[in-house]
Amino acid sequence: MAPIQGLDSLSNALATLAQLSTSSSSLDGVPTDLEASVRFAGSLLTQAAGVLLRLPQEVIAQAVVIFTRFWIGPEGGSLAIYSAKDISAASVYLTAKLSFQPTSPRSVLNVYSFLLSKEASPLWFVNPNGPGVQPAPETYYLSEGTYQSERLVLLRMEATILRTLGFQIRVIIPHTIALTYLQTMNATSPALAKRIFEHLSAALLSPQLLYVTHQPNALAVAAIYLGAREEGVKLADGEWWKVFDVDREELGFLVVAMRSMNGFAMAEKDKWKTQPIPLIADDVMEELEKKRASDGD
Amino acid sequence: MSTTLKSRWADDNDDDPEVEAQRKHEKEKKKLAKATKQRKLEVKDSAQEQQQQEDENTFNGEAERPAKRRRLSEDAGMPVEAEPKRAICLRFPAPEWGPCRHVDNFEKLNHIEEGSYGWVSRAKDIVTGEIVALKKLKMENSPDGFPVTGLREIQMLMEARHHNIVHLREVVVGDKMDDVYLVMDFLEHDLKTLLDEMREPFLPSEIKTLLLQILSATEFLHSHWILHRDMKTSNLLMNNRGEIKLADFGMARYYGDPPPKLTQLVVTLWYRSPELLLGSEKYGPEIDIFAVTGPPTQQTWPSFRSLPNARSLRLPPSSKSASVTGPVLLPRSKFPYLTNAGLALMSVLLALNPASRPNVAECLKHPYFHEDPRPKPKEMFPTFPSKARLERRRRRETPEAPKHGAEAPQLDFADVFSAPLEGDTGEVGAGFTLRLG
Repeated sequence: MAPIQGLDSLSNALATLAQLSTSSSSLDGVPTDLEASVRFAGSLLTQAAGVLLRLPQEVIAQAVVIFTRFWIGPEGGSLAIYSAKDISAASVYLTAKLSFQPTSPRSVLNVYSFLLSKEASPLWFVNPNGPGVQPAPETYYLSEGTYQSERLVLLRMEATILRTLGFQIRVIIPHTIALTYLQTMNATSPALAKRIFEHLSAALLSPQLLYVTHQPNALAVAAIYLGAREEGVKLADGEWWKVFDVDREELGFLVVAMRSMNGFAMAEKDKWKTQPIPLIADDVMEELEKKRASDGD
Repeated sequence: MSTTLKSRWADDNDDDPEVEAQRKHEKEKKKLAKATKQRKLEVKDSAQEQQQQEDENTFNGEAERPAKRRRLSEDAGMPVEAEPKRAICLRFPAPEWGPCRHVDNFEKLNHIEEGSYGWVSRAKDIVTGEIVALKKLKMENSPDGFPVTGLREIQMLMEARHHNIVHLREVVVGDKMDDVYLVMDFLEHDLKTLLDEMREPFLPSEIKTLLLQILSATEFLHSHWILHRDMKTSNLLMNNRGEIKLADFGMARYYGDPPPKLTQLVVTLWYRSPELLLGSEKYGPEIDIFAVTGPPTQQTWPSFRSLPNARSLRLPPSSKSASVTGPVLLPRSKFPYLTNAGLALMSVLLALNPASRPNVAECLKHPYFHEDPRPKPKEMFPTFPSKARLERRRRRETPEAPKHGAEAPQLDFADVFSAPLEGDTGEVGAGFTLRLG
């Protein structure tokens, strides 16, 4: 039966089974755990850049989803060819362009050169030692020459993303859907809504790729279920999630996935305590060489 | 994983009508059951069976929970109708994504037109042989990367799936990063060329059908928070089956409520509504309404003096300064063939004050569409030669009837059976002529 019309504004494009089983990076020999780490770091980088660019969380979340979509499938982008930082910057630029708050290439590149600076970056996966008290401005300054060359890279990556995704760049974000569901159940409370948003934003970084495997309504329901549990808010009796077209199995899976986010993030932070996560294609290859060498020993 | 989920939903959906029918049937039974207790028991039995079936379908072996629930409802002494209904989860459409195909999959046939937005040509899908329209986006001198208008156009056409909006099949790319083509359904005519070339205008019944289709597309767009911002005849495509499709979303964009600040420089000048001409930065779907078809005064549009460009506008002194009550109609004498309802609709569509323009839903309910002549069925539409398909109207010169009282022409039949003269425009065989002697 054909899908019901009029639900487009509630649903997203999802990855197919084939796309989930093989990725372009794995074909290029990048191990799955490294791929997950780089994707995680790239998503965090995207989120941080969005915050510094003062973009609304809706736009940031869309950028992270586009960033995630790019690496999926054998015909997606490979970490051995494209640098995660470039794709992240292009995702932010592209999403902002289509939103009500467009931003300029210069702003985007300024923010990224700060966030990727080895000395000044506040991000743990770029600068594991943390920024000094007052890092020298030269360490994160974008010179005019670099700007011009980086701008060309940014625009080329933008076109690459569009081609790789076949222009499928529309992303529906579950945050507003979750609020509507909460209101429907007469359970709005600021604390609960905050917790739900936290879960939804954390799920963006999930190694289980929740935003490209599940529809926004399911993500919203799972976040509500989990948030209400944690905040001790009593929701409707009975299987209320079915009203929102989510079945028990899917809800269970998503709740487990969302709860495991914290553990995953902690493990990643622990794993990359001493060295930065490679966000450039060359660094990824170098990391691969190192791994091969250590495996050989 | 998603595919397994999808297929399960698909299965659920497949027996949708059956389930629906069952449920109705059950309900009717239950109503009767209230009357006789014995029947009530019977129904319960059948309901239990139903429940078990459902358990098998949706839970795969979790039979305890529903059993518990049933007991609860009995304990509470609730009527049987209150029993939890069978829950069917909707299957959401989940499109996939993949890299763009190459434009070499299409063979260009002929050029159709060039606009500010790009080049359109007729092309053939090499694999399937289908005829499509290929639109190459103009990309040059865009310092900000992929032009946002092109992005919006693609996104909106992907979202706007409606039978009166041109269907975007896919986006294909060329060798260079700048080569991006939209592959759309090919339609034989655009309304502007057609209206220019038509020998007789459309009949009132045909106009109604066309207008209804245009309004239906507009209603769909506005309900999806899309403003087209360039409604005009050259952007309305028509096929030979009487169907009209809205195209060219190069100007379109999303809007919100309250409307965001947008640029004023939209809509081709002739179709631009007065509030845009006068520099309003916040506008809504009313501008599209205006385009689907004397100077403003304080009575017809109270707040227009506050718009930026209105200050520089000098109005001719109004001859009738008496207060205007009720809707202002367009001058009757200009539209002698329009019925009263038609004139009323046109007047409100072209109302100067955006607030008094109707929304699309109101337009569609207008009595104009319900009075005679009724809208003509699409199937009954005449066909026309398609300019985009390089077809021309066959012109056959026919002699006129002899004028009364004119002198009979002197006819010379001497060389009727001899060879035709050089440069004679008589019928010529295809390809070659046989020369004798």
